[in-house]
Formats: sequence, C-alpha cells, structure tokens
Amino acid sequence: MTDPANDFIRDYQALAQQSWDAWARQFQPQPAANPFAPPPAPVAGNDMLERTLAGLKGYFDWMQAAAAGGTAPQPGSDWRQQLQQMFGSASQPFAQAFGGIDSAGAEGFARQWQSWMQAAQHSGFGDLPGAHGPTPAFGLNREQQMQQQALTAALLEAMQASARYQELIQRANTQGMQRLQDRLARHAEPGRQIDSLKGLYDLWVDASEEAYAEIALSDEFREAYGEMVNAQMRVRKLQQQQTEQLCQQLGVPTRSEVSSLGERLQAMRRELAALKRQLAENRAAVPAVSKAAPARPAVAAKKAPAKAARKPAAASGHSQRQHQ
Amino acid sequence: MQTPLRIDPARMLADIATFQRKLAAGMGHLRDMREPEYANTPRELVYSEDKLKVWHFTGHGRATAKTPLLIVYALVNTVWMTDLQADRSMVRNLLAQGEDVYLIDWGYPDGADRWLTLDDYLNGYLDRCVDAVRERHGLEAINLLGICQGGAFSLCYTALHPGKVKNLVTMVTPVDFHTPDNMLSSWCRNMDVDLFVDAMGNIPAGLMNYVYLTLKPLRLNQQKYIGLVDILDNPVELENFLRMERWIFDSPDQAGEAFRQFIKDFYQGNKLVKGTLEIGGQTVDLGMITQPVLNIFAEQDHLVPPDASRALGKHVGSTDYTQLAFKGGHIGIYVSGRAQREVPPAIHQWLRQRD
Repeated sequence: MTDPANDFIRDYQALAQQSWDAWARQFQPQPAANPFAPPPAPVAGNDMLERTLAGLKGYFDWMQAAAAGGTAPQPGSDWRQQLQQMFGSASQPFAQAFGGIDSAGAEGFARQWQSWMQAAQHSGFGDLPGAHGPTPAFGLNREQQMQQQALTAALLEAMQASARYQELIQRANTQGMQRLQDRLARHAEPGRQIDSLKGLYDLWVDASEEAYAEIALSDEFREAYGEMVNAQMRVRKLQQQQTEQLCQQLGVPTRSEVSSLGERLQAMRRELAALKRQLAENRAAVPAVSKAAPARPAVAAKKAPAKAARKPAAASGHSQRQHQ
Repeated sequence: MQTPLRIDPARMLADIATFQRKLAAGMGHLRDMREPEYANTPRELVYSEDKLKVWHFTGHGRATAKTPLLIVYALVNTVWMTDLQADRSMVRNLLAQGEDVYLIDWGYPDGADRWLTLDDYLNGYLDRCVDAVRERHGLEAINLLGICQGGAFSLCYTALHPGKVKNLVTMVTPVDFHTPDNMLSSWCRNMDVDLFVDAMGNIPAGLMNYVYLTLKPLRLNQQKYIGLVDILDNPVELENFLRMERWIFDSPDQAGEAFRQFIKDFYQGNKLVKGTLEIGGQTVDLGMITQPVLNIFAEQDHLVPPDASRALGKHVGSTDYTQLAFKGGHIGIYVSGRAQREVPPAIHQWLRQRD
C-alpha cells in the first residue's frame, strides 16, 4: 500500500532535482559542434559560478535529505541520533565538506602523478624507476635514472604528506559534529529551539569552523602543512629539472635560463638607479661649487628630491585623467 | 529532556521551495549581470614606473589639508578596495573631509618582476613615489597611510626615510607576526620558503586566494554563497556582491623574491619587532619612528589579528601614538556602513590636528 505523504515527498524531490539540474545547466558551457574543436574558453566569472554551484548543491542535497521524512526530527525521539543521520552518514554531502576543501589540491596532485607517468612513458623513459623502491643505477643513463627515482620518491612522499593533512581535516569534521551537539544541547529550552534547516546549518558552520580553527592553529597542523607544501615543491622542482633537460635537448629556452637573465637584468637596473641617484646628488652639489667661483654662471640650487629612475607622468607623456 | 530541534517537516519543504524559487528567480539576474565597476572616483595619473602607477584623486572641491596623503596598499589584492563603490569608498570620504589623496597601484607583476626585492619595492619604487608627491607639493615630508602589508612597508619606509614622512597612519597592519592566533603565520612557519620560491617563481594569485579561503573554509566556500541566494532577486545587492567577488579574485601574482623575503623575515623570523630586519643592507628599527602614528586595526580581523597590530605601540619610538580599534573585520574596515561613518573622519581629525 502506498503512503501518500512519502509519495508526495518523493515526487517533490524529483521535481526539485530536475529544477536544480536545469538551473545548473544554464551555466555549463555548450558542447562544441565540432568534436575536434578545442574546449570553449571559460565564461567570465565562471570560477565563481562553479564554486557557487558546488557549495549550493551540497546545501540543497542536504536539505532534501533532511526533508525526506526519515531524517526529520520527531518529537520525543533521540535528537542526537537524528542529528547523526542528518549530518554524519557518509552519503551526506556535508560529511565530505571539510575533506573537500583541499580537493582541488589533492585532485590536482593525483592528476599530476598520472600525467607524469604517461608523459614519461610516451617520451621513452618507460616505467618510472624507483616506484618499487630505490635501485642502484649505472652506465650512460645513470643520471637520468637517479633523477627518475628521486622524482618517484618525492611523489610518494608528497602523497603521504597530503594524506596526513587530510587526516587532520577529517578530524576537524568529526570534532565539528561533536561541538554542534554541545551547542544544540544549549538550545533545548522552549523558545531557544532550532526551528529551521538554515538555523541548524548556520549552527553547524559555527561549530565546524571553531573546531577547524583550533586544529589549524595547532603545532601538529603546522608540521603537516609545512611537510605537505615542501613535499609538493620538491616534486615540482624535480619535474622542472627533467622538463628542462628535455627542452635543452630540443634547443628550447628553459625557465631557468629566462629567470637567470631576469636576475641579471634586475641587478643592472639597481646599479643604474644607484648611478642616477649619485649623478643627481653630484649635480645638486654643483651650485655650491659655483657660488665659490663667481666667474662661472650660477645655477639655481635645487632642493628637489633625487630623481633616480623616475618617470614623471607629464614629462613622459603618461599624464592622463580617469573619470567615471 | 526537550529536543533542541523543532523543525516542522512542512517548514522544511517550504524552506526548500523558497530556496528553489529564489534560485530560479535569480538566474536571470545573474546571467544578465555585467562585470561591476569599481567607484572610479575621478583621478589623474601623476607618476608611473614599470607596472606601478601613482594616482591623484581630483575630488569635487579643493583639499583643505596642507599635507597630501599617500595610500600605500599591500602587494596582495588591489588597492581598489579603498575606492570600491560610490557609497563604500574610503577615498571619497577622505576627499569629502578635505584630504588631498594619492594612492599607489602596484600593478600585476609578471616574469619580468620575478627578482624584485623588498629593497626594490621600498627604497626603489615607494621612495620614488613619495618623491614624486613631495615634488608636486614642494614639501620635505608627506603623510603616509599604509594598509595591511602596505602598513608594514610604510613602517619600514618611515624608519628608513624619516625625513620624508610627516605623519603615519597604519590600518590593519601586522607588526608582531607571532601572536598565537595568527593562522597564516602558523601555516608558513614550517614551509621551506627558498624551495617554494625556487619552484614557483612568482607566486600565483590563485594559490594565494586558495590559502585565504582555507582560513575559514565553510564560511568562505559555502555559507557565503548560500547567503547569495537571498539576494539574487535584488539587483543592487547582487551587484555589490559580485563587485566584492571581483575584488577578491582579481588579484596580482606576488614577485618571487619579495615574497621570499617577506615570509622569511616577517612571518617566520618576526624580525620587525625583534629589530633585526634589514632592507637594502639597512636595519629597520621601529624605535626610530618618532613621527606621530595613528594605528587602526579591526577587532574581528581573521587575517591580521588585533594583537598583531596592537604590538606597534610597544615598539614604535613615537611619543605621539594613537590606537583605534574598529568593530569589524579586515575588509569591513573599508566597506561597511560603520566604516564609512567612523574611519575616514577619524583619520582626518587626527591628521588635521597635526597638519
């Protein structure tokens, strides 16, 4: 026998989901007619929309799940259990909320690993050496083999560091739920009860952010964070090293070469600025000498500040006005 | 025991329906919305060098202040937070008070700027900007208003070039980088900054923004956008929201060398308060700052904790030191309604007494 109330909720949920999907589709780029065409350029502000949609979807899904009857709090029932059902189940989007804050970084790293493996294989390096532990290398390709092993080891270290960081994020998620229960316990008296999903959500955010902040300020988090960043940078450096070697073989200028030129150029600019400053100071000192020797035409003393490397807008034709 | 949850199932469905309705109604507004403009208070370019520009705000009337005020912003984000929109513009309010306002727009560094050091920024760029304003007014010294990292720069600059600064105003400026509530500082303490900069070169703005978002991940990545649904049907508020989003995410990369030094010496070494900071081979001693100093900080600042700013009082050499606590956050101190009413008048009053 069907339950009209449950049928209504199911129908409503289906309708709401369709409505959500239609809304989300409005902001998705249209597929190209030519399957070989490059992907469309991102729409201006698309990043914000994607982030908005991701955040709203989690909230929307949670509201729907809570409204599905089974998780709606019933008078007289154990509210802590109901709370667990609303927030704690692994299938609920909020359970991954904290885990998801580093998803971009973590996903990026997994992709990085995968694409590096593929690139290494396509470029003739074969299977990455050292994936099953370091092995001695020798012969003509010894250096390349050692570098490959170092890269593999660095990637594995970075993954371990990332896992340790994620563990702490999950701990924040768990402690946030405990703090939510503590906060809710203070809302038991009539008149202070939470009477809307949004009210419950806001309370959960407060509790979770509080738990996160405490962990994020801990020495343990500081160590894990530093370790993760350093491990990722080691990987990046080793990847750059190998990429540059390939570029050198192909006669392509490398980042290091360009950077080295930039460093020299900046050093020369500093020297030039110092020389200009010195010249301006010398010129400013000339009038004093001139006064002592009246036979020469006097030059007005100038107290203006040094002009080293300066480019006054009016003199350089850059003067302009900006109006609304 | 009473249950703290008293959510009526019918109310839940109504909440979902309302959420959906607002989304549907707001969809058109969001799609039709153009990139919101900043306030663009009338201004003239008075100096430029490489990517930086010094702007002079022309305002509607003649400035009554005798000494011009140069705003020194952080290298992070853009200076347009100070002139965000017509009714939320610190610049406009300072002009209305009679101040003669200039500001430095540092621009967007690229690979050519990779090797710019703090010495280049402070003893090079900033010094020449100050000179340009001094020369325009025929003055030995001008007023500086440093904001956030720009406040730290202003402190260093004033200590190194005391003759060129008449009065110094610092806003939400970190001074003691090792207060226990400084999350950013804690996170970067164990970072190998040399490795980081060597690997990254310039530091991408996207990476910086990501780190800032993870300071309050749920509030900044989700709750904020759920709040957006409530204003989707209000074009004015929606435009304000999008303008703020533009400002938050339209931010410059960080020049690698300057970033390396700032993290090492300020965040990790806390050298500004230890008196061991060196810029361009010269030691920066806050005790050498004898100019009048007005230090404004935000009580709910999650980026620069109030104690990090308050520390200035203990280290600055000035006998004319004023501290002002603002009830708000790191951004609210420029754009909230309270800020418009309180902050520019306070700055102007303080400067006028010392003009």
